[in-house]
Amino acid sequence: MTDSKYFTTTKKGEIFELKSELNSDKKEKKREAVKKVIASMTVGKDVSALFPDVVNCMQTDNLELKKLVYLYLMNYAKSNPDMAIMAVNTFVKDCEDPNPLIRALAVRTMGCIRVEKITEYLCEPLRKCLRDEDPYVRKTAAVCVAKLYDINAQLVDDQGFLEQLKELLSDSNPMVVANAVAALSEMNEASITGSPLIEMNSQTINKLLTALNECTEWGQVFILDSLANYSPKDDREAQSICERITPRLAHANAAVVLSAIKVLMKLMEMLPTDSDFVTTLTKKLAPPLVTLLSTEPEVQYVALRNINLIVQKRPDILKHEMKVFFVKYNDPIYVKLEKLDIMIRLASQANIAQVLSELKEYATEVDVDFVRKAVRAIGRCAIKVEQSAERCVSTLLDLIQTKVNYVVQEAIVVIKDIFRKYPNKYESIISLLCENLDTLDEPEARASMIWIIGEYAERIDNADELLESFLEGFHDENTQVQLQLLTAIVKLFLKRPTDTQELVQQVLSLATQDSDNPDLRDRGFIYWRLLSTDPGAAKDVVLAEKPLISEETDLLEPTLLDELVCHISSLASVYHKPPNAFVEGRPGLRKSLPARNENTSASNVPQAAVIPAPQESLIGDLLSMDLTTPAVVPTSVQPPSVDLLASGLDSLLTTSDLPAASSSNTGLLGDIFGFTPTPVSYSPPKQLWLPSENGKGLEIMGTFSRKNGQISMDMTLKNKAMQPMSGFAIQLNKNSFGLTPARPLQVLNPLLPTASYETSLSLATTGLVQRMEPITNLQVAIKNNIDVLYYACIIPMNVFFIEDGQMDKRVFLKTWKDIPAENEVQFTLKNVLCNTEAIVLKMSQNNVFTIAKRHVEGQDMLYQSLKLTNGNWVLNELKIQPGNPNITLSLKLLAMEVAQGVFQAYDAILHS
Amino acid sequence: MVTKSSPALTFCSRSEVVIVEVKPTADARDTEYRPRCLSPATSRSVTLTMGGFYSYFKSLFGEKELRILILGLDGAGKTTILYRLQVGEVVTTIPTIGFNVEQVTYKNIKFQVWDLGGQTSIRPYWRCYYSNTDAVVYVIDSVDRERMGIAKDELMYMLKEEELNGAILTILANKQDVEGCMNVTEIHQALGLDSLKNRTFQIFKTSAKKGIGLDEAMDWLCNTLQNHK
Repeated sequence: MTDSKYFTTTKKGEIFELKSELNSDKKEKKREAVKKVIASMTVGKDVSALFPDVVNCMQTDNLELKKLVYLYLMNYAKSNPDMAIMAVNTFVKDCEDPNPLIRALAVRTMGCIRVEKITEYLCEPLRKCLRDEDPYVRKTAAVCVAKLYDINAQLVDDQGFLEQLKELLSDSNPMVVANAVAALSEMNEASITGSPLIEMNSQTINKLLTALNECTEWGQVFILDSLANYSPKDDREAQSICERITPRLAHANAAVVLSAIKVLMKLMEMLPTDSDFVTTLTKKLAPPLVTLLSTEPEVQYVALRNINLIVQKRPDILKHEMKVFFVKYNDPIYVKLEKLDIMIRLASQANIAQVLSELKEYATEVDVDFVRKAVRAIGRCAIKVEQSAERCVSTLLDLIQTKVNYVVQEAIVVIKDIFRKYPNKYESIISLLCENLDTLDEPEARASMIWIIGEYAERIDNADELLESFLEGFHDENTQVQLQLLTAIVKLFLKRPTDTQELVQQVLSLATQDSDNPDLRDRGFIYWRLLSTDPGAAKDVVLAEKPLISEETDLLEPTLLDELVCHISSLASVYHKPPNAFVEGRPGLRKSLPARNENTSASNVPQAAVIPAPQESLIGDLLSMDLTTPAVVPTSVQPPSVDLLASGLDSLLTTSDLPAASSSNTGLLGDIFGFTPTPVSYSPPKQLWLPSENGKGLEIMGTFSRKNGQISMDMTLKNKAMQPMSGFAIQLNKNSFGLTPARPLQVLNPLLPTASYETSLSLATTGLVQRMEPITNLQVAIKNNIDVLYYACIIPMNVFFIEDGQMDKRVFLKTWKDIPAENEVQFTLKNVLCNTEAIVLKMSQNNVFTIAKRHVEGQDMLYQSLKLTNGNWVLNELKIQPGNPNITLSLKLLAMEVAQGVFQAYDAILHS
Repeated sequence: MVTKSSPALTFCSRSEVVIVEVKPTADARDTEYRPRCLSPATSRSVTLTMGGFYSYFKSLFGEKELRILILGLDGAGKTTILYRLQVGEVVTTIPTIGFNVEQVTYKNIKFQVWDLGGQTSIRPYWRCYYSNTDAVVYVIDSVDRERMGIAKDELMYMLKEEELNGAILTILANKQDVEGCMNVTEIHQALGLDSLKNRTFQIFKTSAKKGIGLDEAMDWLCNTLQNHK
């Protein structure tokens, strides 16, 4: 006997049984069968095979049976998308049922069936239900529109459901209004275009506010949430909305309260900060927030996360409520940590004594995370409230005495910040800190300690020994520690150069040669070069005055905070992340607080200073170098600590191109990056030289310029043909100035269709000369794989003005006299808007040099000279009358042909 | 008094009725609920003469609803016919995407009448409704000459289904009130009804709009059903 028997069974199975029961004639049996099916479905058995049979039970007078069948449909319509069409007619009929419950049930189920094929058939019934006489049906239909939008947004638009939904906003029934609002906000957020589908106006807002007082609590949440998205047109409207919302603060439902707070926080932005109304409102906001803290821990946590935002935005609201944030012994840890955070934010001179004694208490708790945060909090208080600094420091010292490892480490991290905030005040405790050196095993604490040693190296006698002890395990340290160690030893060297040379040499070679961390290497090389070039400069950089650290920490970035305030009472406010950071797929609309009216000054907005993360502040000393003071760059590279150079920095130094003397005020950095300002010579904008219809698809735009004593032809070649172009070459016809290509034309090969290429062709003046008409005319031939193309262009005369065109004053005078009067040409330069100085500057940038300047009878006379590439001199006289934009230009020259060109060059340069 | 069931019995009530031999119904699928068949002649005499047996008879049919399918191409008038039968009025209908099911009582016989949508996309699902069907009412749009071929194909395709082997077929040549429509003989031919073997069927001219012919068809249906088993 084979095993095939296991695969053949005579039993038809449960599904078969159910199938026959569903087709039973007896209603009772049918109902039982449907119940069995639903039960199987609920426990996860696949009963999708019964789809047609269940659908056939759909048309029944029995509401219970109908509900069950609908439930089944919602679940399985997706797995039987084709067959689902058989249910459509029943939906259509049920939407016209005399019983509103059935109508609503039908429209709700329709919305839940996400089958593309049948959605179009459901529009008509949905339209009817939106106009239903029964509010229950209307409110259900409103939500259905949002669901339909999710399946097919275009359909909603085409069918005019948006308009219908808008009408529902003024429905007589508040629940309908609330649902319509909820549907609209959801669709707005999902909007494909990213812009809201329906803009609210003050009338709709008014209707919403009326409905607000009458609808259920969740309806109120919907309405409040959409009010939060509305921007009132002025502060009067904002105030009136605030007034009508304020009673919601007394609601028992936490969601309603938080949503109301969100709206108020947002609208308060629009109101003048010093108005009585805002003051009263601020007072009114505190009690509901405090009440939220007497709920169960989970809700407390949500409330605390939101309060965290509110406190950052408006510290005034809860400034008198410090006590409610004191940690209770039985609070869950997540509540404790959050409360601690808020305590630090609320700490002020008025309550610091209380806070400090609380924090001290917390530092002796058992939970490690909490204790750490408490210790850190003490440090924060010290930094925030100056008057309390001393007490905080002594509290921290007490804690260090406990020798509890993690307490000590946390304490050292915060003490480092205290040192930065109050320099030269508490250094006496350094010796105490040094006692705990061996116990530090966390990178942050080690880095902090090393920073302290480096910073106060001159006061710690054995600083070199201490740092040397860290150096032994240099490569096993965390990057943060390595960087700190490097900096600290360099500081030590700068402070006590005599006996620490060996140490600094060691750390520099460890950092630059034995490490593969780019940051460490870079910093090592910079220090090395600084030290070897000029220890004085190194001192200025490494031991520079550090900027004070700000008092608040962990503050959210102001724009993020503003965005999060708009999301109060949502998951975003709990995560402290904008929704698009954790909700997939939907770009959504970025919410932002309304702009304050112009009558309130921006200075009223609390300026939140963002603190860099700890790591950044550790490397801050590097960044704190002052770029504005001129750095002393030595004229001779002969540093005293020459022994440092021996080990391989020679190459670095010799290849560097330090200017011999630098008077530029860009300072050290400017020299390092080697930027020098280049004068801008005039080059006319590119002109169309060869239109594509003449160029067989090749279009050439171009101009001429003079750079570094070299004339160049700057061209943009664009391929407008359908085929690639290749094999470009250029030739210039004989011309007045003997221009000829200095090197072959460089063009991208091949130049693909629609591509364009910018090229610059250097020109020499060594070619054959032939007088052209006009004299600046140039004929060009360009060859490519398609054809040889010809065009002509005009060269601006100024590219021929050469660099050594400055004539000696006496020679100028003599030449001027020698040139006969008939060789003088006069032009008028019109509408020149520059003054004499600007003219001198502009012309000199283009190699026209001012020889002399005289002031005669209220006129400025400028005498200028220029020399052309062919060696011809041109002498010019400019007559400038202050207030008269027209300037007389007289040229004296031997080669009369160029006069017109020179005039045009003047004209173009002075108008550029 | 009990009569024996006579499986090969045929019953002729009208001259034009095409009588087809009914195959013996040895269907095991629904013996439980099916009324025991009575000889029509006997049963009629019983109802006429003895009131007690009338109620017995009624109870036999009353217990069990007979299942009727109304099929046909879209726009033939199926839904109109259904509601004409149920409420006796012409109702405005929209294309049926899916089905309608109503209970219709005719001459004290209860029918569960399924009206299935006739659109191309829905026709494939007709077969889900075939089992346990006592009679199929196939509605033809007598005006729609173009699609007569399709109507024929669908009909033949349907009749091939094993589940419908025992079902009686009533063909309604609907929309006879419209001028220029095909008459019964033409439709009979167009549908190729001559080729039908082993099928009790009858064709009627009707107008659901005017209410013509439906009663005759239902009378025939009731009688045939009573006699059938």
